[in-house]
Amino acid sequence: VRNELGLHARPAARLAQAAQQFDSDIKLVLDDREVDCKSILDILTLAVPQGCGLELRASGEDAGEALAKLENMFKNRFEEGQG
Amino acid sequence: VSRRTISGIPVSSGIAIGKAFFMNKRLSKSIPRQAISPDDIPAEKARLEEAFSRAGDELQALRDKVPPELREQALIIDTHLTMLRDPKLLRRALDNVDEMGINAEWALFKAIKEIRKVFESIDDEYIRERIQDVRLVAERVTSKLTGSVQALKSIESRVILMAHDLAPSDTVGLDVNKIMAFATTMGAKTSHTGILGRSLRIPAVVGATELEDSIQDGDFVILDALQGKVIIDPDEDELAEYADRKYQFENYTKNIIKQCRLPGETVDGYRVRVMANLELAEEVRGVRELGGEGIGLYRTEYSYMNREDMPTEEELVKEYLDLAGAVYPDRCVFRTLDMGSDKLLPAYGLEESNPALGLRSIRFCLEHLDIFKTQLRALMRAGVMENAALMYPMVSGLQELHAANRVLAEVKRELKKERVEHNPDMPVGIMVELPSAVMIAELLAQEVDFFSIGTNDLIQYALGIDRANKFVSHLYQPLHPAVLRSIKHTVDAAHQAGIEVSLCGEVASDPYCVPILLGMQVDCVSMTPQAIPGIKRIIRQTTMADCDELLKQVLECRNVTTINRLVKETVFNNYPEELTFYSSILDMEEV
Repeated sequence: VRNELGLHARPAARLAQAAQQFDSDIKLVLDDREVDCKSILDILTLAVPQGCGLELRASGEDAGEALAKLENMFKNRFEEGQG
Repeated sequence: VSRRTISGIPVSSGIAIGKAFFMNKRLSKSIPRQAISPDDIPAEKARLEEAFSRAGDELQALRDKVPPELREQALIIDTHLTMLRDPKLLRRALDNVDEMGINAEWALFKAIKEIRKVFESIDDEYIRERIQDVRLVAERVTSKLTGSVQALKSIESRVILMAHDLAPSDTVGLDVNKIMAFATTMGAKTSHTGILGRSLRIPAVVGATELEDSIQDGDFVILDALQGKVIIDPDEDELAEYADRKYQFENYTKNIIKQCRLPGETVDGYRVRVMANLELAEEVRGVRELGGEGIGLYRTEYSYMNREDMPTEEELVKEYLDLAGAVYPDRCVFRTLDMGSDKLLPAYGLEESNPALGLRSIRFCLEHLDIFKTQLRALMRAGVMENAALMYPMVSGLQELHAANRVLAEVKRELKKERVEHNPDMPVGIMVELPSAVMIAELLAQEVDFFSIGTNDLIQYALGIDRANKFVSHLYQPLHPAVLRSIKHTVDAAHQAGIEVSLCGEVASDPYCVPILLGMQVDCVSMTPQAIPGIKRIIRQTTMADCDELLKQVLECRNVTTINRLVKETVFNNYPEELTFYSSILDMEEV
């Protein structure tokens, strides 16, 4: 997670919206906690700080495509710029 | 229902007798918990799903009308939309209906409570606070469950419309013909519901704190917006008494309207123009009918709110030309956009902690030049009607005035270059509504064509009172010595510079305050059209000598209690019969 404030409301919203575009079941994993990546509420409750590593898990027809897309979003900071 | 009376603040006079209908209720306290029989559970779940989907549509519509400059707001709404469409939120609420056999409202309330618990354990304060967003989203869904504009459409008869609160955006699109009166839990003397009630000539009571706990949809009530009461399930005697009182009031109103076309002039020949404040362009038809001598303040905000996108220049030109044309040759004063985050996108504003002191009004316009320039272009073009004038709101000093005038000059250059017909000499005035503007009134007066004193805001900013906050609204004192001195100073500065000064604000339509304003020699008073006939009648019965004397005495008083007592006694002795039906914005308890 490269965003300065971590995975806060707006990136979380973007992530959930993007995940909802796929049919696959998509999970976000932090340590021993696993949440539904299509739920903004779930993502927020993980309270992921900047610099934290996360694991994305997807299962389903479009799982590969989903992982590639979502990974990319993390990489470009959910289009939030440097700040 | 047991018979009882609850009290509130009357903000638009009149009496209505009929059935109650709630448009919205508050989320937390009044949510009823009801058991649902197993047979009804599918229907209850469908109701919940529908409320989610309608709330989503509504929010999407709001999202679509956010102008591109307000990217921040759009992002906030996006977040809210994502929460609203979160599969977990709906799922949780639906499961609650299923598992507990409870009504949709309670099921959602419980779901939010569960989510709140999870959020409370989050260390990151920023993310923890997002539960407030979840709560807002849930409120929107709940309001869809407990009643709405949509539900009102399905009602056949006329009703007394009740609500927790009515925001300007709630009232857009209301079918006015179905509404006999308004009553709200929230609100104070000068809140939006009052403006709306008065402009529609519909009785209204606000700040009735017990409203939602005491009244159910369909209850028979008397709404007395002369005294500020709602009587639930009245007996026969009360019904007869109020039917009679309603008749008398409506008769009195008819009577004063008969004489309202006579000029606003005191017995000893002092002429003061009595003009109208308008919020909706449609209200203009009533202006002449009620004796208004032009429009002293046209609030241009409504045409920006009642829609999904921004109005085009052409639309605005047409609106402004129609309005100026309707009162020609009387003056028509257009106030440029006076929006803050509270009006533009209620509840999804700029997330300012204090919008009254935030990016609003002329400040907002100077930050969003494309919006401002489109409006100024339209105004300049409508200026071909020579009676049209424009004024900037909330000017705090010369720099802001100059900045606005620079934009105006640029617009004029563009119009000239494009050879578009316009009036480059359109009069430009300012609202004097900040204490800073009062203090430098002499300087401002040299650079504008007229002043308009906006007392509602001036009182708020001078006394540091949020007039919509019922906990301090009693401190909102229109005749506070500081307020009176501010008004007088502004009037004197204007006259010294040889420009006209008008006064718009509740004070102008208060029968007790008007004689003092006359004593200060304001050139015009501008008010809600409904108030014009009564105020004109009082002006026509008074003498300037009396007003001078009253003003002199008032300025000698050292505190507002003494002033209020003096004013009430004097004015009441002079015109007892005129004041039978009036409620004053002065605190009435001391009479």
